[in-house]
Amino acid sequence: MRKFTLAAVLVFLGGAFLPGFARDASASISLEKCTLCHGKPEFRKLLVDGQIRDLFVTGDSLAGSVHGKKVCTDCHFDVSEIPHRERPKRVACTHCHFKGNNEGAPQSDNVLAYFDSAHGTAIARGNTKAPLCQDCHGSHAILKVKDPGAKVARGNVAETCGKCHMEIYAQFKGSIHGAALAKGITEVPSCTGCHGEHRIYSRNDPKSTIYSTHVSEQCSKCHSSVKIMGKFGIETEQVATYKESFHGVANQFGSRTVANCSSCHGVHDIRPPDDPLSMVNPKNVPKTCGKCHPGANPNFAVGKIHVDAKNKESGIIYWTATFFKWLTIGTMLALVAHIFLDMYGRTRRLRGEQ
Amino acid sequence: MSSTVGTSSRKVIRLSLLFRMQHLALTLLLTVLAITGFALMYHENSLSQWIIRFEGGIVGRGIVHRIAAVLLMANVIYHAFYMLFSREGKPELRQFFIGRQDIDDFFQSLRYNLGTTKEYPRFGKYGYKEKFQYWGAAVGILLVSLTGIMLWGEEYSMIFFPKVVLDLAVIIHGYQGLLAFAILFLWHLYNVHLHPSVFPMDPSWITGKVSAEWMRAEHPLEYEKLKEEGLL
Repeated sequence: MRKFTLAAVLVFLGGAFLPGFARDASASISLEKCTLCHGKPEFRKLLVDGQIRDLFVTGDSLAGSVHGKKVCTDCHFDVSEIPHRERPKRVACTHCHFKGNNEGAPQSDNVLAYFDSAHGTAIARGNTKAPLCQDCHGSHAILKVKDPGAKVARGNVAETCGKCHMEIYAQFKGSIHGAALAKGITEVPSCTGCHGEHRIYSRNDPKSTIYSTHVSEQCSKCHSSVKIMGKFGIETEQVATYKESFHGVANQFGSRTVANCSSCHGVHDIRPPDDPLSMVNPKNVPKTCGKCHPGANPNFAVGKIHVDAKNKESGIIYWTATFFKWLTIGTMLALVAHIFLDMYGRTRRLRGEQ
Repeated sequence: MSSTVGTSSRKVIRLSLLFRMQHLALTLLLTVLAITGFALMYHENSLSQWIIRFEGGIVGRGIVHRIAAVLLMANVIYHAFYMLFSREGKPELRQFFIGRQDIDDFFQSLRYNLGTTKEYPRFGKYGYKEKFQYWGAAVGILLVSLTGIMLWGEEYSMIFFPKVVLDLAVIIHGYQGLLAFAILFLWHLYNVHLHPSVFPMDPSWITGKVSAEWMRAEHPLEYEKLKEEGLL
């Protein structure tokens, strides 16, 4: 009786787990089946436009990646027979990466943010060139962001974006930010530092971090920080002086035509002022100002652009402001004193007369 | 005070209609300029931001400010011509000249107020207070107008001046405006509103007239002159 019970339990458990075993077994078999063709290094396809699509995948392709324990059909789940007759669909990461999934896949709102972004909406409009998750994160060799080898790691993300945004990547590499990034300086922004990660919007979209009225705020995240700028000997007052200037005030009140940081300093090609290619090099200042102020002449380059009237280094401007400050305070005090004296004396005089 | 007004109801003209109109225009325009100007100068203040939005944003604010500025400059130029060339203006201007007497009057009033002399200075039509106010406003408006015009046509100005001159113009424009406004608020409003002899308000800016009694107490020389001329 007891043996029968045990057997019954075993049969029951076996019944419960057998499908799982069977699936695992079939999956592992499918990996071997996949590599029958995909495991050959010369397995590639010549595309219509002459490009070669490398189709070489081995059992090790996923090894070391965050999906190290997954198998081909976990993602390419539309492959149901081997060899597959049609090209498998592009992998949809949201198959597992959605909130409340049972697979234990990391879940966040980034997916939703992506769908709202410039890239996500381009996909939705049917632009086949717009990137999906795997275009930035990588397809088989996906690593965590913190892993320096990841395609989306700080040091690599510019190159990743540059796969499509080639001209911008070339400009960025020549910029002060790009050069610093190449040196391995960790504070410097790469593409995502300014544009955001999943929430990348067109610069004409008010949600964008680089919308014309948001630019100064975005730059000031680092450039107003003494902690960060101090390391590189860069002044932090530029942000405050911009906000006090006519440009900055108009910008804060929503003007989109007024100059923001990047109007003068450049966008992807920001270079230090002593660089002859810099837009704010004194030689280039008339041309840069001339974009908005037709006929700008070398007078535009005489004197500091970011002037702080409260800073002694501003010279005559500081002294004029200080002079007026004390003149006003002095006049006020003298007038108040005179008024009180006058009232006192006047009251006495009126009393005496009556 | 009411007793002195009661005993003598005779009135003397102090401001003619044309002067009152110039003064009213000056009052209104300076108020508009101060509101629009200081809203920009203190743009971080929430009240300023509300004002700027009320004026139609940063562009609308500038337009309002410039319209008021042009009208004010027109008013001031008209006033200057009136004072220099008109039959009424020329003697008025002469009475506004600052002389040795004004400095003496100032120190005498100080001594009187401190109690070291019993004689209060005897003023003509315009005492040192009025003269200080008048010339202070004139210099202030001149400075603010010049810098304001420079900043208005900034692209044109920069053909002749380097940027540092325009930065200076911004500083002068703002601080001079503030100084003029503070003097107006403290000095002028005291003299014509809070001063014991006129409280709560000197009515002459509306009616043009002051009581003969007030004239006798505050501007005795002018009072005597009017009496000699038989105008009283």
